Parts: sequence; C-alpha cells; structure tokens
Amino acid sequence: MPHEVTMPQLGMAQDAGKIVSWLKAPGDKVARGDALFEVETDKATMEVEAQASGYLTHVTAAEGEDVPVGKTIARISESAEVDAPPAALRAQADNADALPEGKQISMPQLGMAQDSGVLVGWLVDLGAQVGADESLFEVETDKATMEVPAGASGYLAATLAQPGDEVPVGQAVAVISTEKPERPVARGVAEKAPAPKVTPAPAPEPEATPDPAPRPGPATPALAPQASDRILASPRLRRVAMEKGLDLARLVQAGHPQPYHMRDLEILENLPAARPETQTGTAVRAMRLQAACAQDGFGAFATWAADAKGLSDADALLAGLAGACLGRTATVAVDRFGNRRAYDVPTGRSLSAVTASDAAPDLLLRDLRMSALTGVCMGAEDVPVLTLLKKGDGLSLILECTSAGIAPDQAIALLSEFAGRMHDPLRHLL
Amino acid sequence: MREITLSQAVNEAIAEEMRRDPTVFLMGEDVAEAGTPFKVLSGLVEEFGTARVIDTPISEPGFMGMAVGAAMTGARPIVDLMFGDFIFLIMDQLCNQAAKTHYMSGGKLTVPLVLRTNLGATRRSAAQHSQSLQAIVAHIPGLKVAMPSSAYEAKGLMKTAIRDNNPVVIFEDKLMYQDKAPVQEEEYLIPFGVANVKREGRDITLIGTSSMVQVAEKAAEILAAEGISAEVIDPRTIVPLDEATLVESVKKTSRAIVIDEGHQSYGVTAEIASRLNEKAFYHLDAPVLRMGAMDVPVPFSPALEDLTVPTPEGVAANARRLCAGEMIHAA
Amino acid sequence: MAKAKSNTEDYLRMYTQMVRIRTFEDNANQLYLSAKMPGLTHMYSGEEAVAVGICEALTDDDRITSTHRGHGHCVAKGADFKQMFCELLGKAEGYCRGKGGSMHIADQSHGNLGANAIVGGSMGIATGSALRAKLQGSDDVTVCFFGDGATAQGLMYEVMNMAALWKLPVIYACENNGYSEYTKTEEIAAGSITARAEAFGIEAHQVDGQDVLAVNDLTRKLVARARKGEGPFFMELMTYRYHGHHVGDINREYYRSKAEEKDWRDNRDPIIRFRAHLVSEGIASEDELDALNAQIEKDAAEAVAYALEAAYPDASEVDMHVYAA
Repeated sequence: MPHEVTMPQLGMAQDAGKIVSWLKAPGDKVARGDALFEVETDKATMEVEAQASGYLTHVTAAEGEDVPVGKTIARISESAEVDAPPAALRAQADNADALPEGKQISMPQLGMAQDSGVLVGWLVDLGAQVGADESLFEVETDKATMEVPAGASGYLAATLAQPGDEVPVGQAVAVISTEKPERPVARGVAEKAPAPKVTPAPAPEPEATPDPAPRPGPATPALAPQASDRILASPRLRRVAMEKGLDLARLVQAGHPQPYHMRDLEILENLPAARPETQTGTAVRAMRLQAACAQDGFGAFATWAADAKGLSDADALLAGLAGACLGRTATVAVDRFGNRRAYDVPTGRSLSAVTASDAAPDLLLRDLRMSALTGVCMGAEDVPVLTLLKKGDGLSLILECTSAGIAPDQAIALLSEFAGRMHDPLRHLL
Repeated sequence: MREITLSQAVNEAIAEEMRRDPTVFLMGEDVAEAGTPFKVLSGLVEEFGTARVIDTPISEPGFMGMAVGAAMTGARPIVDLMFGDFIFLIMDQLCNQAAKTHYMSGGKLTVPLVLRTNLGATRRSAAQHSQSLQAIVAHIPGLKVAMPSSAYEAKGLMKTAIRDNNPVVIFEDKLMYQDKAPVQEEEYLIPFGVANVKREGRDITLIGTSSMVQVAEKAAEILAAEGISAEVIDPRTIVPLDEATLVESVKKTSRAIVIDEGHQSYGVTAEIASRLNEKAFYHLDAPVLRMGAMDVPVPFSPALEDLTVPTPEGVAANARRLCAGEMIHAA
Repeated sequence: MAKAKSNTEDYLRMYTQMVRIRTFEDNANQLYLSAKMPGLTHMYSGEEAVAVGICEALTDDDRITSTHRGHGHCVAKGADFKQMFCELLGKAEGYCRGKGGSMHIADQSHGNLGANAIVGGSMGIATGSALRAKLQGSDDVTVCFFGDGATAQGLMYEVMNMAALWKLPVIYACENNGYSEYTKTEEIAAGSITARAEAFGIEAHQVDGQDVLAVNDLTRKLVARARKGEGPFFMELMTYRYHGHHVGDINREYYRSKAEEKDWRDNRDPIIRFRAHLVSEGIASEDELDALNAQIEKDAAEAVAYALEAAYPDASEVDMHVYAA
C-alpha cells in the first residue's frame, strides 16, 4: 500500500516549508529512514527521512516550492511504476465525476459569527422531487437548529453531507437537478471508512522492531533532540530530576521528544541503567501495533453513562472498555499527564463493576488525546502500553508490548477490539 | 439560605453600614431617587435622606475630590462612579490625592473612602462604557482593590471596605447585578487579602477575578468531563493579594491560568502570573498563562465584542494544552 | 484664639508670624542654594500678609488646604520651625516623617490638610472638608489656598458649583501673585477672576494681599458668616512673590523685570508696611521689633542647625504608611 509523503511540521509555529532539494529521484528505491528531501523553515534547514520503504513516486512539489505543512508531496509506492491512485483518492475522483448535474445548494450563513453548521438531517428523500420553498435539510449552529429551504425546484440528485457532518458555510451540501436523476449520489463531507481500520504492523517490517535502539528519526513531529542545545524541560521536572539524581539528557539519548514535563519523569526513571545489546538470541520481541478510529465515540458515551447510569468516572469507563478486550480479569491503569489511576476490571461487560485499585496494572492506557503528539514510539515496557492519540475527528491507537507480556495474536485482538469500542462504545454493551 | 441579587447585596451592605456608622454617606450621580442607572442604591435615600445620599452634578473629579476631603476630616464617604470608564476622569483625585495622602503626611492623615464602580464588557456599550480598569488602580500604592465575584462577596467585601481606613475601590461586574447567590441574613464581613478556593483540583489552577471566576468554574466543569481536575481560586481582592494561597495551589497543580477581564497587556493577569513565576518557579510544569480581554478598545458590534473577552471554552482549551505538555509560544 | 486677645497682641502676633515666614524662607533658600536641601522648593516671600491675615482669623478646628508654595501657610497655621526644617531636609522628625518634603509640608495637628503639588489639586479636598462639616453639624470653616494659575483648572468650577449649591462653609482664597509659573496671569486668564465665582452666585471680594489687616478683617467677617451657613465665599488676594516660580528660577527677566520686583519689595512689602503701622500707632517700638526679629532669626538658625544634625528616617520606614491600619 502506498505511503504518502507529506510536508512535516518541524516547528511549533510553522505552517509551511520550502523544499530545498529532493535527495531521491522519482522511481528511486527508498528505505525507511533514508534522507528523502531537504526542507527549509524559518529556523533551519533539515533533512526529512522516509517513513516507509518502497519507491518514490508521484512527486508533486518541485525544488524551491513552499509547501503547506501536511500537504502530500509524493508517495512511496510498492513499485517504481506510476501506479493507480490509492483507493480513497480514486473513489473521491469517481464520485466527483459522478456528481449529477444541477444546482448546487450550499451550507447557508445562519448566524453572525458562524463559520460552519452541523447537518442534522435530510428532510427530503434522495432522488425525490422538491420545491424551492420546501425544507430540504435541518442545520444546527451554535445558536439554534433550523430548517433550510431548498431554494431551487427539482430533484434531490445528490446529498454531499451526512447527518452529523459539520459543513463549512458556503460549501455545497446538495445538488438539485431538473431531471429525475438516474443515479442519485449520497456522500459524507469526509470520506469515512465505515469501520475502524486496524493496521497491525506486518511482522517482517521494522514497524515491530526489537526493543528500540535509539531511533535516528523522531517518531513524532515534536522538536527533535538537538545535540548541543539546552534540554527543554519544565522547571518542576528539572527540580524533581535533580532531587532524584536523574539526568534529563538520557531522555534525549533515548530519542524521547522534547519538551519534557512531569509526565516524562516515569519514562526517565524507567530507562535502564545501561542498555544491553539487543537481539542477542533472546526470544522476547518488542511489538508496536497501530490502529485508527474514524471517530472518537468515547466522549459522548461518557456523557451518556454519567447522565443515564450515574457512572461519572470517565477513566473507569475507559479502563473498563480496554480491560474487557483482554478477555480476563485485569488491572488497567489510566495515565494522563503523569497522574495514574488504576482500576480492577472484571470479566464481563459491566462497567459499573469496575473499581479503583492499588494493584500493579496488567495494561497501561496512556491517554494523550489532549496532547499535540501524533505518534509515539516509546519502546515496550513490562506491561503492554496502549497509547491514545487524537487524529482528526478520530483516534490513533498504538499498542507497545513485548511478546513476553502478551502473545502476538492477543495483542492484535486487544487493539482491534479496543479500536472498535472507542469508535462506538455502545458496541461494548451489545 | 435565601438568595439575593448582587445589586441587593451591595444595597444591604451600604444600608447596614450607614445604620451602624453615622459618618458613612453616599455621593454620586443619580444615587438618590434614581438609585443609579443600575438601581443598585434604590431605597437608600428614603431611609437615610438626601443629606447622606447625595446626588451630585456630573462632576466626577469634583465629587471624588470632595470625598477625599471629607474622608480626611472624619467622614466615611462612599463615592458612586457610574461607570468604571470614568476612572480616567478622576485619576488625579484618586491616585495623586486619595492614594498618597496617608503616606505623604507621614501617617498622620487617613482617607477612609470607598469608590464603588463597575467593569465588564458584552453589554453592547462600546469603548467608553465597557472597560475593566482594575489594573490601572491596582498599580497605585495606597489604594485597595476589591473584585466581588458574587452577591455574597459583594456584600461582605463592601462592608469591609466601608470600615477600612484606606481608599478602597470596588469593581462590580455590571452584568452580574441581577445574578443571585445565597447570602445569609446574619451579618458577616469578608476580610481583604483572603482568597477563596472555589473548587479543589489537582491538574491545573484557574485564578479568576470578578465574573471571570464563573468563567473559570465553567471551564473547570468542561475539563472535569475530560478527566482534567482544575482548581478554581477567587482572590476576592487584588490589593491586598493573597499570594500565599495562589502559590500553594500552583505548587500542588504545577500549572496555572490567570483570568481577568482587563486588557491582556500589563494587567492583573500579568501581575499574578509574574508572582507565581517568582514564587513557584521550581514547581511549574508549564508556563503560567494570562487570559484577559483583547488589547483593543471594546467594540460595539456584538459579533466583535464577544470575541474580546475570555470564555469558558477558551480557558478550557488553554488548560488542555498546558496539561498535555504542549509547548506554548515557544516555536 | 484670635477673638479673646487685644488688638496689640493680635497685631504683634501677625507681625511675628509674617517675619517668621520671611525668615523661614530666607533660611530655606540658603539651604537650597548651598545644596544642603534636596529637591525643589517654592518661596512664599512677599505673600506673607495673605497666609497670616487669613490664618489669624481661623481656629485650630478650621481647616486649610495648601499649595506647592506652602511654607507660609504651614507657618501661619501654627507650625514649628524645627519639624518644618526637618521635613525640608527629609529627616525623621519632620512633620511628614520626611516623606512629604517642601511640597507636601503640613502640621496636620493645626488643621492643615496638606500642601498639594498638583496645581489646583486641593480644591476638591477643601470643599469636601466643608461638606463634612455641614453633614456633621460642625461649625468649622475650610479655607482653600490656591494661586491664580489654578483658576485654569476645571476642578475649581466643579467644586465651586457644588459648594454654592449646598452652601458649604468653604472660602476659596486665590493668591494672585501675577504669575502662573513663568507666564503673566493676564496671558492665561481671560476676564475677571472674581467673576468666575460670581457666576455660581458665590460672593467674591478682591483685597490687597499686601495689607495684613485688610486681609484679616475681611477673612474674619467671611469666616463668621460661613460658620452661620452663608458660605461659600471667594477672595482674590492681590500679592507678589519675590523669588522666581521656584528657587532655581533665577534668570526670569524674560517674563518680568527687575524694576517691577524692586518696586514691590521697596514700596509694597507687607512686613515693612505693617511694621511702619505698628510703630506709627505706638503698638511697638523699632527696638522692640528689631529684638523680635533677632529672636526669630536665632530660632530659625537653631532649628536649621538641629535639622541638619537630625537623623534620617530608618530604612524600615520606606514602606510604612502606604496603608493605614
């Protein structure tokens, strides 16, 4: 599957980077970690490494060009040939081509300071006839919910947003055709996968590496360790580290992204004194599995659970959802900003039976949804660590563990099930 | 317990003190029969007469200066300044005269007066009737500054202010006059310089003044639903400031946001943030953030005015960033 | 205090007070010029009959507010040389414990509400003191001293309006010395000064400020009426300052001539005039008055010596008196 190469965010306030030069030519074979291109920001010029192995294709940004952060500038494909565009892009293109002809109806401006509206629902069936003054759909803004008239007579030939979608003011939400459409189109604002994509790392790829030697490339877009510069750490962490006789430089050496806060103390404390040579005939393998959820259903679920069931401890719910994926009685700890709370999760689905615990955890949930991090590669710890990250409207889930801590098939099951539950927690109860 | 409005609380406090101490009197524009445009003082003239509830001409420097002279010679005037913005009119009398007299006289003269005025935007009153100028007053040594956050504070702080032997400026939020809060029937005073921990928390300290206490409390509720535990503190008086309570809280939580409706730059928020930086530096896990009104004259248009003041959502968003260890303003 | 005494005592006291002011200012001037006194100072010399004529019509319960040119008011309202010189030199025994200095000097115990370094800044205070007297049923009167320059401040019109509306026992005493800092008064003030007060229905008088008896006589009458609730009143006292605006204002011929200054000194000096009156009326002999002068000079010299040796305030006093207990 092709990997998209995007302009990385290299500074905190950077919104674009200039491509100084490509270090690989289209069609070149590329290995993960190879320097791929050179970028100049307001701060410095740096080389960007390939995040996947394959062949460089579809280069769309030329040298000297300023490219917004996050924009795709090339792909790393499985073959050097310019292959077909990825399925998602293809679908989008197909849909665009297939859009019926007619008058496009846009999201109206309904409030003074409103820049988008949430589509509550369609009031006309797809393909059905509609009059200009008839209500076509219902919109919710920060102020109120209101029905929006069609504004044109004809047939509802396409709906370009689904209930729940937030649509920027002025963006097309429907097409009204004069002729009855042969193939009416229904689409969401974003191309959403109907079910969460779970992408366990393929075993032979370096995705699941032996317990990490320091990685040359930062796993996250946070500041890369800068060899000569001072270490960026909070005053409190500095003080505590000094009191405990810990050296923050070891976090840098371990490739842990700066700046450091109290939440990083535990990692610092757990760095082995001297890292032994890895891969010396041991059977224990470190694993890193990654999953994506198109939506984060947990927030709404927690609100519902609190209101309807009186379960007001959101962390207990989170621990319960995760613990249930292990298929056995377990202690699950939720770690957020250095604060850790553990819960005993019994077998079964009863979230009300989850209780606070002092026991050592069998699974650690590291909740980084509120952070700017988009990825982690911390290395496996004694217990499996499941990291939750925000990704768009959904989630990115990373499980880091060792084969000694959890069997590979169990790890895959754990992450897959948990991703499903986070996507739609009500599934858990069904 | 009974609930009364902030307006009633102020009225009760003044009435009680006027009954207790015959040297207390009230002066300002339309304070008697009109009871001020906000009707805060309605009924006082009926009880105390026009000799002690004095309608003045529209001469802010004049009646402010007269209050200073009356205070220096044995009376306890309460000056009503219709809008906080008019402080600029009385700056000489307030800051050069009232604030400095005790010091310049080597402690021999005192100026026990209360200046009650207001703050707060979003009343669609535009740039000259919407400012929150407490920082300007708090900058001047010799003045005390109280910022009640509810009817309860408004009453207790007002009574303390009237009994204080110094010039005290009380800023009431003009949007809170009709807000109700439980206020006991029995007499009570709220001491100056004692902060109120409105809500305990462990992850971040939200320090708010006046109506920003409510903003902080709402933000804390939003954050609680996300698993972030916020402590909310109301300093109640910014001069004197209960630094110890604020510093202790931040030592516990290691993060703080200071919220005040004055302009962001050179403001109350900057002062408190700076003190936390000085006194709690080695306990900070994130920079202390200031959240004030935008550095623009307050615009009239509701679409614009609402953008200029801190909101619970904005506070919660910043709290999230701090708790997530995001590096702020440090590209 | 004034009423119970014979004219002779009153006259000699007025003479003494005027000489004390002149002597105080001469010493202060020397202290300043010899760099023993910090800051800046404004001499009252030449205007003595105004402060003395007015303050001798007041009791200790009556209040005054003073100006940046306030040494004369301070002496006239009963202050002591030692504590005054200590204050000028920033010493702990000064009336304001060295925190006020020349521009804020006041002996508060005799009803002096302070000298004010903001031109016109005390008009509200004086009027407020009178408001307090009326509210509390006290019969004390407050005199507000200010210069012709202060008539250009808006505050004056605001408080005169309220004083007139509420019939407050306040007397506005405008010391018109002909100059608003470095500018002739006629260049900064349109129309008549007294007409400003009359516009509010305030009874206004113009009086020769170099004639201490005329000043005293008018003030007594107005104070008595003010005590009965007939105030407020306004007095314009025509006077002259011998020195510049402040002690360093030496080269001032660009705004007034030496001939003019000489004329006032030689022909209209309030002390010379009153001394001649005392001698011609047989109230005191030249010798007696010389002896009086010598005693005052001796007192001043001793007070200066004392103040020069006196202790500065302890550093711990720097943040004392910011707030009252």
